[in-house]
Amino acid sequence: MIRVLLADDEAMIRSALAALLRLEDDIEVIAECADGEQAVAAALRLQPDVCLLDLEMPGLDGVQVAEKLNRAIATRCIVVTRHARPGVLRRALASGVAGFLPKSRGADEVAAVIRRVAAGARYVDPEIAADALSDERSPLTDRELDVLRAGRRGETTGQIARALSLAPGTVRNHISVILGKLSVGTRQQAVLIAEERGWI
Amino acid sequence: MFEVALVAAWALMAFATDRGGFSGLIVGGGGLLWCASTIPLLGDYRHRLDAEPGVRWLRLVGPFLVAVGYGVAAGAVVGSWQLALLPIIQSLVLLNWQRGVRYKVVIAATIVLAVVAVADSTLDASDPIPVLVPAAYTVFLPVMTVTSLWWWDVLITLDRARASEARLAATQERLRVATDVHDLQGHHLQVIALQLELAERLLPTDGDAALEQLRAARVSVDEARQGTRDLATRFRSVPLGDELANARDLLTAAGLEVEAAIDADADAAPASALGPVIRETTTNVLRHGGGRRARLVLTRIADAWRYEIANDVTSGSEDEHDGSGLHGVRRRIQEVDGTLEVRRDAEEFVVIVTVPVRLGQVR
Repeated sequence: MIRVLLADDEAMIRSALAALLRLEDDIEVIAECADGEQAVAAALRLQPDVCLLDLEMPGLDGVQVAEKLNRAIATRCIVVTRHARPGVLRRALASGVAGFLPKSRGADEVAAVIRRVAAGARYVDPEIAADALSDERSPLTDRELDVLRAGRRGETTGQIARALSLAPGTVRNHISVILGKLSVGTRQQAVLIAEERGWI
Repeated sequence: MFEVALVAAWALMAFATDRGGFSGLIVGGGGLLWCASTIPLLGDYRHRLDAEPGVRWLRLVGPFLVAVGYGVAAGAVVGSWQLALLPIIQSLVLLNWQRGVRYKVVIAATIVLAVVAVADSTLDASDPIPVLVPAAYTVFLPVMTVTSLWWWDVLITLDRARASEARLAATQERLRVATDVHDLQGHHLQVIALQLELAERLLPTDGDAALEQLRAARVSVDEARQGTRDLATRFRSVPLGDELANARDLLTAAGLEVEAAIDADADAAPASALGPVIRETTTNVLRHGGGRRARLVLTRIADAWRYEIANDVTSGSEDEHDGSGLHGVRRRIQEVDGTLEVRRDAEEFVVIVTVPVRLGQVR
């Protein structure tokens, strides 16, 4: 039996998928979670074989949950998304996600991927890989994108520094490099450009 | 610019007339200082389209003090009322006046300067020739300043118009896509609703027919999804070089040691033929790999482009490489007279594709 944890903030999709997966003989759904924090807590407690995580969840997103779990326990994570934002596949692979699927795949296909991943293989959906390859190149480094992401709602430099565990001076350096690379005058404009092009 | 030229003219005049180099120094050096002090005024003017109309008096105290000081000093040294009044009047002209006020200010300034010029020439008629040139320039300075500021405004407006035109085009494109998505989704939803309704009706009497309708509804959902995706990706295309760089980043992120040798002119390679190959092979390495090393090469050899992707073979992955994906790729490559070679030995799995340049250019 493969013990699976499901996390998705959309209750209808979560319960329907759980019901469909329970119909598979070799899959047992041991937990259904509505957000990232719940998923982390349940996974640490139950130690599932595979975690099926929605990318878009309030609080921690699927990739962040996977990152936390991979550091703590021996579980394999699959991330599911409706719309893969540019750069997210790279972020997911870097944090050790074993599978990446679009939400549109049927439950039978999801079950097949769960089996493959449980057996130790990696699965990247061709559609998502094709999207990731045709991403517009961003001139910013991952760290600089983190800074923009942490400050996208107008947070102060101090707040960004705390959120990323950086020194305020480092954050200021990153910001001035970002402004130079994008040739804009304010952090707000940089955030707008990055959002428009899907970098953050 | 005019200011500097004018100050130079007055300074030359001062040198030429008398009193050694001292007065020329005051007029020239002070003039440069005054010109520098008007830069904040110009800066304010530059941003006036974004700012509230009107004058921020506090910021102007400095420049105006310099203007008055220079006017008094230079005017006293040369003995010209016109030079004394010039700096303060020019500063007034540079202010961010409201629409309609500016031209009155300019006319008034010109009249004042002209009157003072006449007064100067009647005061000191002994040597009119050298004074005449700077005096005439001075009278015209407000008009020239305003004309160049006007040009400046025209250029800025043009620049903004161009930017907003581009934004408008993008907005229209977005609206068009939104309409397309709406039509497509509306159509499919209606079909699905009908199929489900039919299944519901058939269920009590004819289970098999109901099941068939349910399956048809699932197919409709897939079609709708695929159609939406095609719409969304219709305009997405990136240069081949970027695609390869993305591939390298993805493989690196997946924990592989990537060795990449990509020709600097990669963007000139035939994207329509090589793009799908790169996508297919990269996905293959990503999902089957689990290996430690990968090699990505795109080079120009003689009259062909050669793309090579290799990864180390791990146990259990062999049988999956010859999927239908590579067959599709082979067909596409053969269509453009290219070749595809798949090689597997004990250590490596390699795909090598060559595409002739001649055909590549006709995209």
